[in-house]
Amino acid sequence: MAEKQKRKIAFPMVARYNEVVRYFVEEGLQQTYIMQPQMTRRTLKLGAKYAPDMVCTPFKTVLGSMIEALEAGADTLIMVFGYCRLGYYGELAETILRDLGYEFDYLNLAEYSTGKKKDYLKAIKKLNPDAKAVPMGKAGLDGLKMIEYIDEVESYYYQNCGFETSKGEYRRALNQFTADLGRAKNRSDIDDAYDRCMSRFHEIPTDKGAFPLRVGVLGEYFTVMDEFSNVDLEQSIADLGVEVHRWMNVSHRNIHYPGEKNLHPRISKYCNYEMGPTSTANIWYAKRCAEKGYDGLVHVKSAGCTPEIDIMPVLQRIGADYKIPILYLTYDSQDGDAGLQTRIEAFYDMIEMRKKVIR
Amino acid sequence: MDEIRMPKAEYNHHEMVVGIPRSLLYFRYGVLWERFFQELGVKTITSAPTNLKIMTNGSRRAASEMCLAMKIYMGHVESLIGKCDYILVPRILDFGLRRVMCVNFEALPDVVSNIFFESPIRVLSYNIDVSKKLDERRAMVEMAVSMGFSHGKSNKAYKKARKAQNEADSRAVKQNEAKYKNDGITLVLAGHSYILEDEYIGKPIMQYLNENGVNVVRADLVDRKAALRESERLSPTLKWELSREIVGSLVMHVHDFDGVVLLSVYPCALDSMVNDMMLRKNRITHVPILQMTLDAQTGTAGVETRLESFLDILKMRKEVEAGNGREAEA
Repeated sequence: MAEKQKRKIAFPMVARYNEVVRYFVEEGLQQTYIMQPQMTRRTLKLGAKYAPDMVCTPFKTVLGSMIEALEAGADTLIMVFGYCRLGYYGELAETILRDLGYEFDYLNLAEYSTGKKKDYLKAIKKLNPDAKAVPMGKAGLDGLKMIEYIDEVESYYYQNCGFETSKGEYRRALNQFTADLGRAKNRSDIDDAYDRCMSRFHEIPTDKGAFPLRVGVLGEYFTVMDEFSNVDLEQSIADLGVEVHRWMNVSHRNIHYPGEKNLHPRISKYCNYEMGPTSTANIWYAKRCAEKGYDGLVHVKSAGCTPEIDIMPVLQRIGADYKIPILYLTYDSQDGDAGLQTRIEAFYDMIEMRKKVIR
Repeated sequence: MDEIRMPKAEYNHHEMVVGIPRSLLYFRYGVLWERFFQELGVKTITSAPTNLKIMTNGSRRAASEMCLAMKIYMGHVESLIGKCDYILVPRILDFGLRRVMCVNFEALPDVVSNIFFESPIRVLSYNIDVSKKLDERRAMVEMAVSMGFSHGKSNKAYKKARKAQNEADSRAVKQNEAKYKNDGITLVLAGHSYILEDEYIGKPIMQYLNENGVNVVRADLVDRKAALRESERLSPTLKWELSREIVGSLVMHVHDFDGVVLLSVYPCALDSMVNDMMLRKNRITHVPILQMTLDAQTGTAGVETRLESFLDILKMRKEVEAGNGREAEA
């Protein structure tokens, strides 16, 4: 019996999570996953060329990486949805790609968001009608574990990599971890990768001092997580010798989200309602960092991100109430990072001086 | 409904004045709000139509990256300070599946209360959130009850106010739709009602077009239910209520007009995507479309030049079409 032609599935680049999608597609759906190259300036240029000019920047990067995935040979694209403009990304991106003449199958999860969870099964059936429930469920659970590991490793990395005594040790361990995940075929591979990375992390000698500077990074879901989109913001801050903390990641926001119900009472002083898809979490996190005595906050968003613009007045008020400096960064499809570097350094100098005065 | 409601002493509704900013959703719910408070016996004050002062004050107050409509709204709120005790800022999340509002309307009460937290105003708000089973009636009645009115009275006030709003809407829609049958060049202005009806940004454009002998029809005044249905055919996952009405309206009347002006403010989140979608879908119908983005400009010369050249194109097309028609007849 001739084997059925497998789909070549691709997903737009999102931080480090593409390995998870690959794992689920290959092990759960038993299809081929096409990994496009890491995002470069070309990705953004491609996206910016074909996307409407006033749309938020993630759309441009997503469109660019979809084009690169199609160039890499994918024939099926998956797109997720969200509660802001992200909910319309799928359809507009498809229209633009089809106008450009690409031919592909498209799975836009926004079409299946009818409020019934059952409908997502239809989406999976579309990808592979013969998908078996057991391997799929297993791969799904492994995928979730993978997301948790990635987030844990990243979080540990950015909190410590600024203090290593020999430069580059942490980076090497993190790169090894990413490579290991790329080869993972089953749960024990994933666990091994995580264990190896964490034990290497713990062995690296660091020099933190008694009171290291701590900075909280918060902001728009995509830009804050994606290293390419925020031009390696966290790394640049950490390299100055700072503990960088970030709450926003997939495991916190999606898998273990404490829920509007639990977060909102803690910020009811500042707002009465949920202000946007990630607003409650960001306001809560800003307040928590301020209460814990962090030395500064960095608010990250892409140009024109409505929910994040709307919480800026709240953050300004938190900054004034708790006397915590906040750096507001807006990312667009810029080419250079010199301007950003200058702002980060100036911010660092300020919080460092401030710390010396206060202590 | 099992909780015991204590009358709230802090509201003294005989002397209380509610301020209504003449911006954003005022042009959609203005009648409803004013009538509702009138029925309850609460005094209201509506801010003056937008002028340069309101716009500049608003731009100063608002975060610099907010859209022009939000900046103008903040100007209206500021102009009401000192004239009222409460400012009505509703929070509207959605009306059902794929019928959400722009995030700005979701965040509006909190944005206002945070921007103006040092000012002596308080935000009066009702919360429409269908996933929490809060429709417009329940939301507004709950607001009135929290102000100390009885359930029955608030319910009655809402019913009357809603009826008045419905009547006003259908009157406006009828008037607007009748214009499609007028002779001459029919131009559709597609934009949110808070842009088109704004005294400072939208009205001058409408006025200019009317003065130049164009039959101007508004896309936002439409039978909303029918428009929602039609928009789903054009773009199945389009989820913003306000955009769906406009898109649906354009689809419904696609054979009735000669040109479209897509009027949006900088940087409108919805229009940035939906306008592009419409331009792409328009390749089938080939209607001339002018895409215009307004920012806090003070002069109209640039806008008028663009409109003038667009009108010239429409006139030429009409003449060519009429010429072709004659040739075909001959």
